[in-house]
Amino acid sequence: MEMKLYHLGHVPWLESQLIYHALPRLDMEGLILLAPTEPYVCIGYHQDVTQEVDLDYCQAHGIPVFRREVGGGAVYLDGNQLFYQLLLHKDHPLALSDKGAFYRTLLEPVAATYRGMGIAAHYKPVNDIITAEGRKIAGTGAAEIGDYLILVGNIIMDFDYETMVRVLRVPNEKYRDKVYKSLRENLSTIKRELGAVPPLGEIEASLVSNYQVVLGPLERAELPPAVYDKVAELERTHTTDEWLYKRGKRREACPELKRREQQTKIATGVEVAQRMWKAPGGLIRAIMETREGCIAEVSLSGDFFFYPADKLEALEAALAGVALNAVESAIAEFYRREGIESPGVTPADFARALTGQGA
Amino acid sequence: MKIDKYEFPDDLYYDKEHNWARVEGDVVTQGLTDFGQDLAGEIVYAEVPRVGRDVQQGQPFMSMESGKWVGRIKAIVSGKIAEANEEIEWESTVINDDPYGDGWLAKIEAADPGELDNLMRPSDPAFAEFIAAEREKYDK
Repeated sequence: MEMKLYHLGHVPWLESQLIYHALPRLDMEGLILLAPTEPYVCIGYHQDVTQEVDLDYCQAHGIPVFRREVGGGAVYLDGNQLFYQLLLHKDHPLALSDKGAFYRTLLEPVAATYRGMGIAAHYKPVNDIITAEGRKIAGTGAAEIGDYLILVGNIIMDFDYETMVRVLRVPNEKYRDKVYKSLRENLSTIKRELGAVPPLGEIEASLVSNYQVVLGPLERAELPPAVYDKVAELERTHTTDEWLYKRGKRREACPELKRREQQTKIATGVEVAQRMWKAPGGLIRAIMETREGCIAEVSLSGDFFFYPADKLEALEAALAGVALNAVESAIAEFYRREGIESPGVTPADFARALTGQGA
Repeated sequence: MKIDKYEFPDDLYYDKEHNWARVEGDVVTQGLTDFGQDLAGEIVYAEVPRVGRDVQQGQPFMSMESGKWVGRIKAIVSGKIAEANEEIEWESTVINDDPYGDGWLAKIEAADPGELDNLMRPSDPAFAEFIAAEREKYDK
């Protein structure tokens, strides 16, 4: 039997989430294509909304916040993103593979759609699609609901970077700025790659055609009324405070300083983090971007003494490209070379602040 | 018993969802097998169940996340959650590193000892066959 294609166009924001939550509960497979009419923030199933999202900002600006049953992090979603949502029964031949193979097979149609537009995108394990320059260009996630495997993702036509960083809960504006720069650097869009966005209909047709290569012929279908009944039922549970504020992933298990620590995943292997360490000579705060376990960029501040003071910036520059597990020796070498004095703060203290292994 | 690189302690019971059970009186400790943790990949978070909650054999009662993938863990026996391993909420990779030890998931006060008959022992010929089929299915 052919798999159903539910090509829904723009739908109310809540339906853009609840429809794919409803289908497995109704024992239905299918591929859904849609986009939300209104923007909203969507958090991963295991996240703690109070730690991830600036709820006051969202409320003040009328931006709804939703907890999905799929993994990953908080994202800002809007009508400039085309969502694909694939639901497969666990006994479907494509579901009978390990996670890597599942993602690789079922994200290839998305990568091919980008390539069809002239963007040299390819799949990167475990679940990313990246450009030739290594920038992430699509969001993805998966879940098991009942007897179904669900793969969801978006083709990013254009992205509102400013609002994305504004809706996140961050410890300070310096951190927000670092997240913004990192997002701009590591997340691309069709508009940025091509200078313009092809008509949505063309992108959708290409995505359907590419999915048919792996899923077989797709039969266009209307959603039956039962789906909307289930959506209404799910709305009663999935929009409650109890659901939104469900306890999620906690930050590191340490009081005091750790509470002010934060990390934000930008793309696979890329994170922005704020870490701290209270050395005998004062508090060290590091806000940094790390790539594949190396420091890409770091800002150091705090209430410690560092002589000559103008060399702190040089230390930040010297740490760019240094692996986190080699920072202590790199800092010690910098101290020797530059004749640094910092009473009560040693290279090991800086290393603890940078690696988060101090507290 | 060792099958290829995967350990399956002989004194445990196993289900077809890659969970193990250690039976001590009425209390059944549940965890993910070595094969199960390998299949999951690096586990970034595990949400443990509330103590006192009733669970049903074969029904989901907790969840885990790896690679943005939310997987559901099914109870290996029916009963009441007596204890949950809260440590794994802080340090979930212990499930990968020590699946039969510190990476245990929950202890269930079993309601029906007869349900153990639904589980496999490494000495059952069916167990090795099951693992062989799973390894082929998942190319492990």
